[in-house]
Amino acid sequence: MKLLHELYLYRQMIFSLVKKDLRGRYKGSVLGFLWTFINPLMQLIVYTFVFTVILPADVDRYYLHLFVALIPWIFFSSSITGGASSVVAQKDLIKKIYFPREVIPISYVTSCFVNMLLCFIIIFLVMLFTGSVWNFTAILCLPVVWIVEYLLALGMAMLSSAITVYFRDLEHILGIISMVWMYMTPVLYSIDLIPERLQSLYRLNPMTSVITAYRDILYYGQVPNLLTLSEAVFLGVGFLILGVFVFSKLKKRFAEEL
Amino acid sequence: MPHEEEYAIVVKDVQKQFKVFLDKGQSVKERLLFQNRRRYEKREVLKGISFQVRKGEAIGLIGHNGCGKSTTLKLLTRILYPDSGSITIKGRVSSLIELGAGFHPDMSGRENIYTNASIFGLTKKEIDSRLDTIIKFSELEEFIDNPVRTYSSGMYMRLAFSVAIHVDADVLLIDEILGVGDVSFQQKCFRRLQEIKSSGTTIVIVSHAMEQIEQICDRSIWIDNGEIREEGIPKYVHEHYLSVMESNRIERDAKERQTEPVETRTLPDFCDATAVRLGTGDAEFTDAKMLSEDGTITNVFPTGSYITLKLAYRSKKSNLEGNFGFGIFREDGVHCYGTNVDIECDKIIPLKKEGTVTITFENKLLAGNYFLDVAIHSKDGVFYDDIRRIQAFTVTAVKRDIGICRLETKWEVDDITFDSHR
Repeated sequence: MKLLHELYLYRQMIFSLVKKDLRGRYKGSVLGFLWTFINPLMQLIVYTFVFTVILPADVDRYYLHLFVALIPWIFFSSSITGGASSVVAQKDLIKKIYFPREVIPISYVTSCFVNMLLCFIIIFLVMLFTGSVWNFTAILCLPVVWIVEYLLALGMAMLSSAITVYFRDLEHILGIISMVWMYMTPVLYSIDLIPERLQSLYRLNPMTSVITAYRDILYYGQVPNLLTLSEAVFLGVGFLILGVFVFSKLKKRFAEEL
Repeated sequence: MPHEEEYAIVVKDVQKQFKVFLDKGQSVKERLLFQNRRRYEKREVLKGISFQVRKGEAIGLIGHNGCGKSTTLKLLTRILYPDSGSITIKGRVSSLIELGAGFHPDMSGRENIYTNASIFGLTKKEIDSRLDTIIKFSELEEFIDNPVRTYSSGMYMRLAFSVAIHVDADVLLIDEILGVGDVSFQQKCFRRLQEIKSSGTTIVIVSHAMEQIEQICDRSIWIDNGEIREEGIPKYVHEHYLSVMESNRIERDAKERQTEPVETRTLPDFCDATAVRLGTGDAEFTDAKMLSEDGTITNVFPTGSYITLKLAYRSKKSNLEGNFGFGIFREDGVHCYGTNVDIECDKIIPLKKEGTVTITFENKLLAGNYFLDVAIHSKDGVFYDDIRRIQAFTVTAVKRDIGICRLETKWEVDDITFDSHR
C-alpha cells in the first residue's frame, strides 16, 4: 500500500522516463520512430515466408494468424530480456538518488507496452484491408488482455531486473530462455497442433492463455473463452505479486552491488 | 531533553558494513573457475552511530575522507540501508547528492528541468508552478530552449543546482555541492539555502568547507572511523577536528622523512584544558594572564571596566619578525572582536629571544561567557603559535542593555538630555 502511494507520488518520473525512452530510442537514426514498426514487420515477412512457402502450415491467412500473436510476444520477450538489464543500466541514478526502485522496471515495461499499442495500429490496418471478421464485443475484451499481459510482463521484468543485479549472466541466459519460451508458446503455430497429452503442460505457460485470447479476438473474431481469460488473469496477478515481493527483498542492496 | 515528536531525524545505533571484493567475478564462469579469488574483506564503515536532529535544525557532518560521513548521508536518503539499527525521518526528504540526474544532452534545458525534477519526486503540476523561478534562478533564460549539450559545464551545473534547490522538502540532505558556478552564483545558492533554513526545513550537510557549515549549521557532528567523535557548536568542533588533522599530518610528514616524530605539544598551565594549540612553534607564548583594572589576575570582568592582557613569548629562531594578535569569541561561536599589531600600527615587530606584550582595552562586551584567542604569526600569515580558547572569561552585567557589545549613546528625549552611563 505504501509502495503504491509512493509510486503515485513519483508518477511524473515514470512518465518522463517512458517519454525519454520512446523519444531517445531512435534519436539520430534516419528512419527514426519507423523502426518501431520495421522490426516486427521484417520478422513477420520472414516467418510468413518460411511457414507458407517452405514449410506450409495448414492455416488460413497465416500472416494474420501469426501477426496477432507475434506483436504481443515481442512486447513480452523484450520486457523480460531488456527489462533484465534496465536496473543495471540506471546504476548512476540508483547509486546517487533515492526514488522507489520499482519505477525503473515499470517505466521500461510501460515504454515497451506503448510500442506494442502503436504496432496494434498496424494490426488493425491489416485487418481492415484483408476484410477480417470484426467482432466488436470481442474487441471490447482486448483491453483486459492487454492489462493481463502488462501485469505478467511487469512481474517477469521485476524478477529478472532484480536478480540480474546480483547475477549478471541472467541477461544472456534470458536470451536463450526467451527463444525456447517462444517455441513453447503457440506463436508460430496454432494451439490445435499440440498433442493432447501435452495440452495440460502447455496450460502452465501463462503466455499460452494470453496468446490464445489475442487470437480468439483478432483472428477468429470471437469472445475469448472465459476460462482461458480467468486463467490468464490469475497467472498475471500471481507473477506480479511474486515479482514485487522478490524485487522489494533485493532492492535494498542495489546501490552496493552495482 | 526535547520531546520525541520534535525530532525530524532519529538515528539509532546504525551499523553498516561493506564487502570489498579484492577481485570480483560477475559471471558464472568466473565464479566457478576462480572460486578462491572471490575473497573479500568486510569493512566496517559505520560502527554504531546515533544522533538526533530537531525540526528546523541544520547540522553539518565533517570528517576526513572515508570516515563514513557520506555513507551516513546515503543511509539517510535511503540509497543504502543499515545492517542494524534504525533510522526514522519525518516528512518529505530531498537529497542534493547528485546534480543533473537523468539529464539528456539532446533535450532542451526546459525539458531537462521536467525530467530532473520528476526524479526528485515532483509532479507535473508542481514543476509547472516552479518553472519560471527555476529558470530565473539559473540565469539561463536565453538558453533554456537549447539542447543541454551546447551548455558549458558551468551552465550545466547552474541549471542542475537550480532544479535541486527548488525541491521543497521537510528534510534536505546536501553533499559537497555548494561549490557550483562562479562566486556570485555560489553566494546566491548560499542565500537560497539560508532562506530554506529559515522557512523551517531541517538540513543535513556533508562538506569539507568548514566556513559554510559554520555559517549555516547550528551543530556539527564529527565522524571519525565510523564513530561520532564529537558534536557541538560548529566552530569548536571544527577547531578540534582541524587540530587533530594537523597533528596527524605532522606525524605522517615526520614518518615520511623518517625522522623522530615531533613531540606532541602538551598544553601549558596558562591554557585552559579545552584550548587548541596550532602553529609551527618557531615562536611561542610562555605565559598569558588577564588582569582587571586593579591589577589582580581574574577571569571575571564587568562591562565597561578595563581589561589588561599580559603575554610573554620566546623566539626559538633569531631574526624572526612577528605580528601579535588576539580575538574574542562568545561561547556560541560569535566572533566579537579581533585585531593585531599590523592592523593597529602598520608594523611588524622584530621578535626578541624573550619578550612581553601588554594590551589594555575597555571591555564593551555585554554579560556572557567568552573565550580569548591569541596568536603570533609572520607578516604573510604563517602561524608560529596559535592558541584558540586559551582562556575563558565571564563578563558580568551592570546594566540591562542587550546585544553583543555596548555602544555609547547620547539621548535627547523631548527636552531631557542625558548620556549613557557606565
